[in-house]
Amino acid sequence: MKTLTPTELFISFSKIGMSGFGGVLPWARRTLVEQDKVLSSEEFSAILGICQIVPGPNIVNLAVCIGSRFAGARGALAAVLGLTLGPICIVMLLAILYTHYSDLESVQGILRGISAVGVGLIASTGIKMLRDELRFPLMLLVVLVTVIAASYYQLGLGWVVLIASPLAWVLAQKKARKL
Amino acid sequence: MSVLLSLFLKLSAFSLIAFGGVNALLPSLLKLSVYQEQWIDLQTFADYFAIAQAAPGPNFMTVTLIGWHVYGVLGALIATFAIAWPSSILVYHLQRLILGMKDVQKKKSIQYAAAALAIGLVLSSAWQIALQINHSYAAYVLTIVTIGVTVLTRWHPLYLIALGAALGMIGVI
Repeated sequence: MKTLTPTELFISFSKIGMSGFGGVLPWARRTLVEQDKVLSSEEFSAILGICQIVPGPNIVNLAVCIGSRFAGARGALAAVLGLTLGPICIVMLLAILYTHYSDLESVQGILRGISAVGVGLIASTGIKMLRDELRFPLMLLVVLVTVIAASYYQLGLGWVVLIASPLAWVLAQKKARKL
Repeated sequence: MSVLLSLFLKLSAFSLIAFGGVNALLPSLLKLSVYQEQWIDLQTFADYFAIAQAAPGPNFMTVTLIGWHVYGVLGALIATFAIAWPSSILVYHLQRLILGMKDVQKKKSIQYAAAALAIGLVLSSAWQIALQINHSYAAYVLTIVTIGVTVLTRWHPLYLIALGAALGMIGVI
């Protein structure tokens, strides 16, 4: 297995953090698996799977898992710092510009346009993930319950998870036996 | 100072229930920061969401910007740290456990259950956020076009973001 020092992890994850528009997960795969070749495709998918089941920002979880795999707790910290420091600086620069120019009609229009696209990007992530569920359509019940609890009854996130997870667990066991 | 403390505590708690990532959390984040704590008004929230989408980097930067709005650079750093540390510690300890799990059926079950939950949360997040920040039919049309293009083609999201910005600038949205 290839080894990486905390410094190398910091640099790799800086590249990942600075390159992603509309989410950085695809860039993480490109950098780590295709360019730097520090993980195989299967290893990456297995780790990503874990990061998506644990709550919290998925990409930070990924940095923690991969960083700690190569260099323990210090590696995890280096990877997370690499991932976040650059983007935080950029986003704060944009925030400063925003405070100066947010009154301009054109700036407001630009932000409205980007928001509308941003919502669409989030929805399409969900729809793409939905495709995998079609192999076991009963699982769509969980999606339905979650959407109704969160959107129609407007329950808090904690409640939604609490209500939907027993059903999710029962159906997931069925699905695991069947596939 | 107390506003920094509540920023830290509320966002730390969010970190542990953010199944499906921070995008799934957006409606709750909006409720908390706009209506409950009144850290920020709805329009600014929507604008920060747009800025975070347009900037490179992880999409949880909306949280960073809310922190910035509340307490400048220190607020931004504390908000970012708060949203990340509890889940980071959790995944740090869980990864070996799950990767090393011998019972394949159980491992699969956990992944399937979590995936279904995540999908539901992400979809309802998109729906609720759309209701809050899309103010015109044109905005909904753009959202739907974005969904169509992303699901059916392999366009880079940046083109769509640029398209949205251009349409907004000429006053269509």
